[in-house]
Amino acid sequence: MTMLRKIYFSFGFLMVFCLSSLAMAEELTARQVVESFQDQLIDVMKQGKELGFKGRYDKLDAAVKKSHDLPKIARIVVGKQWEELTPEQQAKLEEVFSELSVSAYAHNFKEFSGESFSFVSEEETGRGGVVVHTNLKIPGEKDVRFDYMMKKKDDSWQIINIIADGVSDLALKRSDYTSVLNREGFDKLIAKINEKIESYAKQ
Amino acid sequence: MYTLSYQAKSQASFYWALFFSGALSITGCASTESAAVNSQASAPIVSPTDPYEGFNRSMYGFNMGLDRYLLKPVADSYKFITPDFMQTGVTNFFNNLKGINVVLNDLLQGKFEQSASDLGRFTTNSTIGLLGLFDVATPLGLSQNVEDFGQTLAVWGVDQGPYLVLPVLGPTTARDGGGIIFDKAANPGTYVPGTGIVEGINERANAEGALNFINEAALDPYVFTRESFLQYRNNLINDGKTDIDSFDLDIDEAMDNDGQVAGASKKKVKTDSDSLEVKGKLTLENPEALNAENATVEAFDSMSKSFDDALMEFEQASEKMDRMSKKRRYRRR
Repeated sequence: MTMLRKIYFSFGFLMVFCLSSLAMAEELTARQVVESFQDQLIDVMKQGKELGFKGRYDKLDAAVKKSHDLPKIARIVVGKQWEELTPEQQAKLEEVFSELSVSAYAHNFKEFSGESFSFVSEEETGRGGVVVHTNLKIPGEKDVRFDYMMKKKDDSWQIINIIADGVSDLALKRSDYTSVLNREGFDKLIAKINEKIESYAKQ
Repeated sequence: MYTLSYQAKSQASFYWALFFSGALSITGCASTESAAVNSQASAPIVSPTDPYEGFNRSMYGFNMGLDRYLLKPVADSYKFITPDFMQTGVTNFFNNLKGINVVLNDLLQGKFEQSASDLGRFTTNSTIGLLGLFDVATPLGLSQNVEDFGQTLAVWGVDQGPYLVLPVLGPTTARDGGGIIFDKAANPGTYVPGTGIVEGINERANAEGALNFINEAALDPYVFTRESFLQYRNNLINDGKTDIDSFDLDIDEAMDNDGQVAGASKKKVKTDSDSLEVKGKLTLENPEALNAENATVEAFDSMSKSFDDALMEFEQASEKMDRMSKKRRYRRR
């Protein structure tokens, strides 16, 4: 009996190994990009307290930048006004926006209380995008739907928007950012983003 | 950033959080309204979803002040003196009172299966759950649904109407505002004086996490609150079912050239609010400007008409009430 179990185990390991190396050889699917990012997120949450903000930031920095198309997101959130910005301003916005995104993750996913992500389904949109539907399970709470809008960039899938329980992060940010840009101008926008980064790092 | 609901956790508390939110000073924004400070800053755009932005912003500022100096301190002390299990009990109790209204609106929207489940939930929690103090139905698979008259009106095809921030009550739309009156009428708690205050304090206490989230994430808390409120309501109306292509439109709209943008925004008027904003801005340079203006005028006309209609109905209703109370008085005599 134990012998049989051992064989099963080693066979299982072999399978997993083969599959993972296969995946490495080929490009990752949209679902794999999302799932590997979510795994990293849960990982960071589990060690959240020991890592501290700085530790979480450093761990998530690469993970977020690899899986999200941050330059494109930064472009979209200022809408039409992107074209009116000078190249220096565009570069500045991309830079602070990336920092803000990673900081927000590091701030919000700081501790672990049994949360887990699970894959639900995958759908193709009309224009070559893919939406990956997932669920975040929180013990004792209602599940939260996380839908990831993915676009292909240089042969790899990247997250471009996250819709949590029907609330689109991109649409929310676009209204928020364009409002500040319209009312108070570019410099104030950057100043406000920097303020947010600072306050995320503090707590 | 991408964790709105994760932080908010309970939907009900998130909804309420939108009612009073933010601690960033609104005066800072208001003072820059008249003068464009930066060379890049263009004139403020009037969005058709929020035509009364000036009024709304000042109400929002008022609500935030009220929250900071009165509601938050009260809610904090409530949280401090009340044990957790009692807080949960109070929350369950008030949620259960909304049960009748949920069943009613399930029926009005033609969701008969869901109405049966919600009725089962209400009776279970009202009996075994000791008048709703314990939520025994959720573990039995009868999960909570959020339905109200505002959603029913939307299902019936009533337009959203302008976004409004009411003093004390917070964000709503013309459509939801009308619905709230019926919601209150269908809630037994309304007829017991004083319960509203306890409910309010309890909800404010539950909303703490979501409120903090808005403070942390929003650059312009007013806009952030407005957009999340409208999106959240849309999601409830559609019961979480999203059109897959609306995901695409979100992105294309910002990236594509003008012609496509106009097409895209036409297609998604119902789900997204600021596509209209973009369109409105574009038309300023377009020959279509006149058409768009006419459309706006028409929209305003129909809006004010629906307001008038609503007022008429209220008048009629109050007349009826007067008559009824007169009859009663006569009878007493």
